[in-house]
Amino acid sequence: MAATLAAGVLAASHGAAQLPPPETTVTTMVFDPGASQRFAIPDCVPRRADEKSREACRTVTQVLRADLRFEGLFRFVPDELMAAIKTLDPERPDFTDWRGIGTSHLVVTQAQVNGKDLQVDAKVYFPETGQTMLSRRFSGSADNPRSFAHQVADEITALTQYRGVARTKIAFVSDRDEGARGRRSKELYVMDYDGFNPRRVTVNRSLNILPAWSPDGRGLAYVSYRQGQPDIFVASIFEGRSANLTNGRGQSFAPSWSPDGKRVAYSSNRGGNMDIWVASADGSGGRRLTDSPGLDTAPIWSPTGQEIAFTSDRGGTPQIYVMDSEGLNVRRLTTVGNWNDAPSWNPSKQYSEIAYTSRIEGGFEIAVVDLASRQVRQVTLGRGSCEYPSWAPSGRHLVFACGRGRTWQVAVADRLGQSVRMLTGGSGKNEQPDWGP
Amino acid sequence: MNKTWSWLAVPLLVVSVAGCGGKKRPPVVAVDPTTTTTSDRGTPSQAPLPVETGPDVQPIDSDVARGEDFTVSDPETGEGGPIEDIHFEYDQATLTDQARAILDRHSAWLKAHPTAKVMVEGHCDERGTVEYNLALGDRRARAARDYLASVGVSGEMLRTTSYGKERPLDTASTEAAWARNRRAHFTVSR
Repeated sequence: MAATLAAGVLAASHGAAQLPPPETTVTTMVFDPGASQRFAIPDCVPRRADEKSREACRTVTQVLRADLRFEGLFRFVPDELMAAIKTLDPERPDFTDWRGIGTSHLVVTQAQVNGKDLQVDAKVYFPETGQTMLSRRFSGSADNPRSFAHQVADEITALTQYRGVARTKIAFVSDRDEGARGRRSKELYVMDYDGFNPRRVTVNRSLNILPAWSPDGRGLAYVSYRQGQPDIFVASIFEGRSANLTNGRGQSFAPSWSPDGKRVAYSSNRGGNMDIWVASADGSGGRRLTDSPGLDTAPIWSPTGQEIAFTSDRGGTPQIYVMDSEGLNVRRLTTVGNWNDAPSWNPSKQYSEIAYTSRIEGGFEIAVVDLASRQVRQVTLGRGSCEYPSWAPSGRHLVFACGRGRTWQVAVADRLGQSVRMLTGGSGKNEQPDWGP
Repeated sequence: MNKTWSWLAVPLLVVSVAGCGGKKRPPVVAVDPTTTTTSDRGTPSQAPLPVETGPDVQPIDSDVARGEDFTVSDPETGEGGPIEDIHFEYDQATLTDQARAILDRHSAWLKAHPTAKVMVEGHCDERGTVEYNLALGDRRARAARDYLASVGVSGEMLRTTSYGKERPLDTASTEAAWARNRRAHFTVSR
C-alpha cells in the first residue's frame, strides 16, 4: 500500500515522545487491492470520565467501525490482535505496538460531552512513520452522536480516491401511519443510509409514492394523490414546503431529476397515452419525449445527463430502453426475461451499468446489466420478491425493497449482491427507496 | 231526496263548466295605451293605468325530476357505489366479454343519471412492479372509459386515474384477492 506523503514528513523514532502537532494533512492513499493495508480502530477514549462521554464514545466507536466496514474498501486488524494492546494513549500512541500487529493506519478517536454539546476528535496515523494523516475536531449538539461518527468515516474515506456514503440518506415510502379506517395511505420518510433516524416528510394522509432526491439533496420529487389525482410535487425538505409541478395536466408518475438539477423527467398520460415527458425543475415547459402506442414510464437519467433509460412495453412486454435526452435514438437494452422495469443508472464513472427489476422464475429480482458487454448479473436471490433498485452515489451499493404480501422492507447490498442487510423492520410496507446524494 | 239533488246538480255543473273556459290564466291587465286620451275638454279624464309590455305568461318551476336520485360511493374510501367493478385478466387491459356486458349496463345507468360524476380508477394486483403497474392501471381505466364513450356516455361525466397496485381492495396474497384487485372501479359522486 503506497502512501503519497505531503511535504513535511516527520519521522517517528522508536518510542519518541515528540509528536508532530495536529495538522490537517490531506494525503492521498492509493488503494492497491493486492497490497496489505490494515486499519485499526481502537475504542474511542473519553476525554471526560462521566457516563455521557463514555456513552458517546461507545456510539462513535461502533458507528465508525460499521461505516468503514460498509464501504468495502478497507481491511481491518483482527479483533484478537487488537486485544493484545492493552492501553492507548490517544495523544501519544505507541506506534511500535501497532506496527507489531500489522497496523497500516491507526484511527484514534476521543469524545466528551459538555452539557448539551458533544466534541469528537479524530486522528489517523500512519504507524510506519508516525505521520498524522488526518486530524479533525467536530463540535455540535450531543443529540445525535452517530452523525459525528458518519462525518469521521466520510473524512477517512475521502483520503482514498473513493467517495464515502456514511452521511447519505435514503428516502422511502411507508404505510406505517395508515389509519385503521378510511383510504389506504402512504407517506414519505427519510432515514440515514444505515436505517437509523427515520423521519417523516409528508403528513397529508393520502398516497405519497415514488420519491426522487434532487442532486443537491435539498429536494424530494414525489407523486401524491392528495389533490385527488396523481401529480408530481417537489418537497423542500429543510423548509417543509411542497410545490405541485404538474397541476392536474393528465396523471403523472415516476419523477427523475437530471444530474444538473435543472430538469425533471416523468411519465404522464397528458398526451392520451402513458409517455415520457420532461419539464424544467419548476414544472414549466413540459414536453413529450416518447410517442409510442405502448406504455412508457420509469425514466432515469444517465450520469452525464445525455441519455434517459426507461421502461416500455412497445415491444409487447415491459423492457428497458435507452434514448437520448431529446427523445431520439431509442434502442432496447434488455433482451432477457419478459418483465423488466424500474431502471436505475449507476452514477459512478467507474461503472457503466443499469440496475433494474426483472421477473425471474415467477418472482421479481434485482438485476444489473453491463452497458458495454450487455451481460446481466442477478443481485438478489429469491427473498420473496425484490424490486425498485436505487444506486448509492458511490456506485458501490444498491438499496431496494423485498417482501411478501403486506410486509415489505428496505434492504441494501453491495453491487455484487453480497452483504444484504435490512434497513427497516416491523410489519407493514416499507418500499420504493431512493438513495440520496 | 237523492233524485232532487242530482237533478239540481247537473245544471249547476253545466253552468260552471261553461263559464270556466278550461285553463287557468294568471291575471293580466292589458290596456291599450291609445284609450288613454285627453277628453274633448283637454284634460285626462283619469290617471293612466300601468302598462305591461312583457310576455303574457311567465314560467313556473318544473317539479318533474330529471332523473331518480342515486347512491354515491363512500366519500371516505371511494368504495361502493351504484355501479360495480369490472375485472381484467392478469397483465391485460383488454375488456373481456363479461366486462363489456357490465359496461353496457353502466352506460344505461349513466345515461339515466346525467348529473352523476364518475372517476374510473384502474387497479392491478400485487404481482407486478410498482411503476409498470401504475401505467397498466391507467390503460385499464382508459379502456373502460373509452368503451363507455363509444356507447354514447358523455365524456364530461367520466374521468380516469390509476392506482397501480398501491391501493388494493383486498390485501391477501391469494388468487381470489388478486382477481378482485385487477379491476376498474367506478367512484360515483354528485
